[in-house]
Amino acid sequence: MKFRTLFLKELREMLSSQTILMMIVSVVILSFAGQAMSNAVEDNAETMMDINICDLDDTEFTHNMIKCLTANINALDGEVNTVDITSDNYAEELKKANVKSVVIIPEGFTESVEKSEAATVKFVQRLNSLATLSNMNAGSQVAVDYLSSAVKEVVYSTKVANGKLTSSEVSFLNEPLKLEESTVVADKSEDISASIVMSLCSAQGMIVPIMMFILVMMSSNMILNAVSTEKIDKTLETLLSAPISRLSVIAAKMLSAAVVAAMQAAVYMIGAKNMMNGVLDNVSGESGYSEALNNLGLTMDASQYVLVGLQMFLSILIALSVSLILGVLARDAKSAQTLTLPIMMCTMIPYMLSMFVDIKTMSPAVRYIVYAIPFTHSFMASENAMFGNTGVYVGGLIYQVIFLAVCMFLALRIFMSDRIFTMSIGGRRAKTGGEASQ
Amino acid sequence: MENEKVLEVKGLSKQYKKGVYASEKVTFDVHRGEIFALIGPNGAGKTTTIRMISTLLQATEGDAVVSGHSILTEPEKVRKSITYLPDEAGAYKNMKGIDYLKFMAELYADNKSQAEEYVKTGREICELGDRLNDKIASYSRGMQRKLLLARAIMSKPDLAILDEPTSGLDIINALEIRRMIKQLAAEGMSFLLSSHNMLEIEYVSDRVGIIAKGHLLETGTPAELIEKYKADNLEDVFELVVMKKDIK
Repeated sequence: MKFRTLFLKELREMLSSQTILMMIVSVVILSFAGQAMSNAVEDNAETMMDINICDLDDTEFTHNMIKCLTANINALDGEVNTVDITSDNYAEELKKANVKSVVIIPEGFTESVEKSEAATVKFVQRLNSLATLSNMNAGSQVAVDYLSSAVKEVVYSTKVANGKLTSSEVSFLNEPLKLEESTVVADKSEDISASIVMSLCSAQGMIVPIMMFILVMMSSNMILNAVSTEKIDKTLETLLSAPISRLSVIAAKMLSAAVVAAMQAAVYMIGAKNMMNGVLDNVSGESGYSEALNNLGLTMDASQYVLVGLQMFLSILIALSVSLILGVLARDAKSAQTLTLPIMMCTMIPYMLSMFVDIKTMSPAVRYIVYAIPFTHSFMASENAMFGNTGVYVGGLIYQVIFLAVCMFLALRIFMSDRIFTMSIGGRRAKTGGEASQ
Repeated sequence: MENEKVLEVKGLSKQYKKGVYASEKVTFDVHRGEIFALIGPNGAGKTTTIRMISTLLQATEGDAVVSGHSILTEPEKVRKSITYLPDEAGAYKNMKGIDYLKFMAELYADNKSQAEEYVKTGREICELGDRLNDKIASYSRGMQRKLLLARAIMSKPDLAILDEPTSGLDIINALEIRRMIKQLAAEGMSFLLSSHNMLEIEYVSDRVGIIAKGHLLETGTPAELIEKYKADNLEDVFELVVMKKDIK
């Protein structure tokens, strides 16, 4: 009986409205992110089995092979589209053909097959994002598998019909194709597999968002606690009744928080740079991958780190100014804790999405909702810098500056008015000392 | 000099929404060297009035003039002439007591030597000795209140506004504070107090104002009010005024 009483009391304390709200918000965030990801997967799945093919050999054999391939792909609800690739400038050629990937059957393919030598097939893929789900594609392996089976089918139907196979022909049929892969990023291309690029860049692609998430949460907690504690402890009243302007008080708070945030951003960026250098040196130092990544522009240089750092700093400033406003709403320590929720939510959504999907390719409605979250642009910053998405980067930067100006204006308005003492969470006016008389 | 008005409150009102007043047309004066106490039940409008005079809240009607400066047009000059100690106020817990005094002294002082003078006075007033070198987080409530009081008084403002100055203090410390307030008033500092402790008010105040539902109902010396209401003490006066006045 006594234990039950104690247990219920503890449960009531822990299962506060704030805790329940946190749980609901988490479910909402995860559902939203899940839905967005599901849409992205669905969009990709529709074209995943499609194969773009360029037949530079242009022989009866390759025509037959493409026919076989088409039959196989059609059976899987995919399409085989023929595209023209006229030069080795794959970045330009893919752009011209308006495709993300292409399987190229080079000249001399038929000749190699006829000689029972492994024939070369080239697979070129463009990477637009490092998000895990954004590059889902039938890819080189599927293309090779289907082309192999197409080659086998044609070879069987021609050679087997003519008699027994020689031992070299049998071993050729075991592995009739040799795959060469190229990856295109922005206007550059390198002879490296897209899947290898993705693997090497996944660390970089994950580290920046994780740092961004930690920094935003840390800095917003810092200022939210600073303001809410001043309000709860009534040190704010003492401070604001001193012969100093309120502008000085808010400016001092923002400036000190910004200095700490800038230091944090700089330290984390230096750390990230060193970490990435370490990863690339160790993982790809001897294989030449490092050079390939460099040539593709997928290793950030100092100026790109500055650009990413700038957007990170802007996000931190936004988090600080929003937290300044939220801190004013705090009535007690518990409500102060709850007030971090909006920032957490606005950080988690772009954080999760940027890791899994290419936000730029999401449906316009969802994309603009996600873009409206100012932190999104910082999560996309490194990718935008690496992939040369200048428009998206600059647009995001301008939006962040405007958002920051609006937040700062609101924070100033609140600090300069009575609201700093009368505002509180839940819309109820905080204790002002005097109750109203009618 | 004693008739010089340090504070003139003229029809000061705070309206939060149409027809809803936290404080309505409050008018009173505080002279140099005078201790004026605002008394009233919870939610009467004492703190709202004090906060408006301290320039923390903006008055919706009326004005208050502190040492010749209007709270509406010269709030920064007003803040230079006052200090405000809120009820249940805290201090920065991670600071040492001495650092808190230095920090506040620098906000009020015009130069370094004046700030040092304020800190010296603050040290003497709070009587915390070596404990000033400890973090405020380690202070008892009484010690913290003494530090805050020292902070409010050390700059010798024209008007010290103290909301429940002795709350949280034991009898001995409370007596000391009351004595100190009287002594500083005798030296020319003016005080605007707010308290629930009628005995304290009766002992320490030169004049009191009884406030209820945002209206200032009575002002006068404790003796005048006791005589006017034929009461035994200020507590009875308070009850008679607050209970019997018909306030719209």
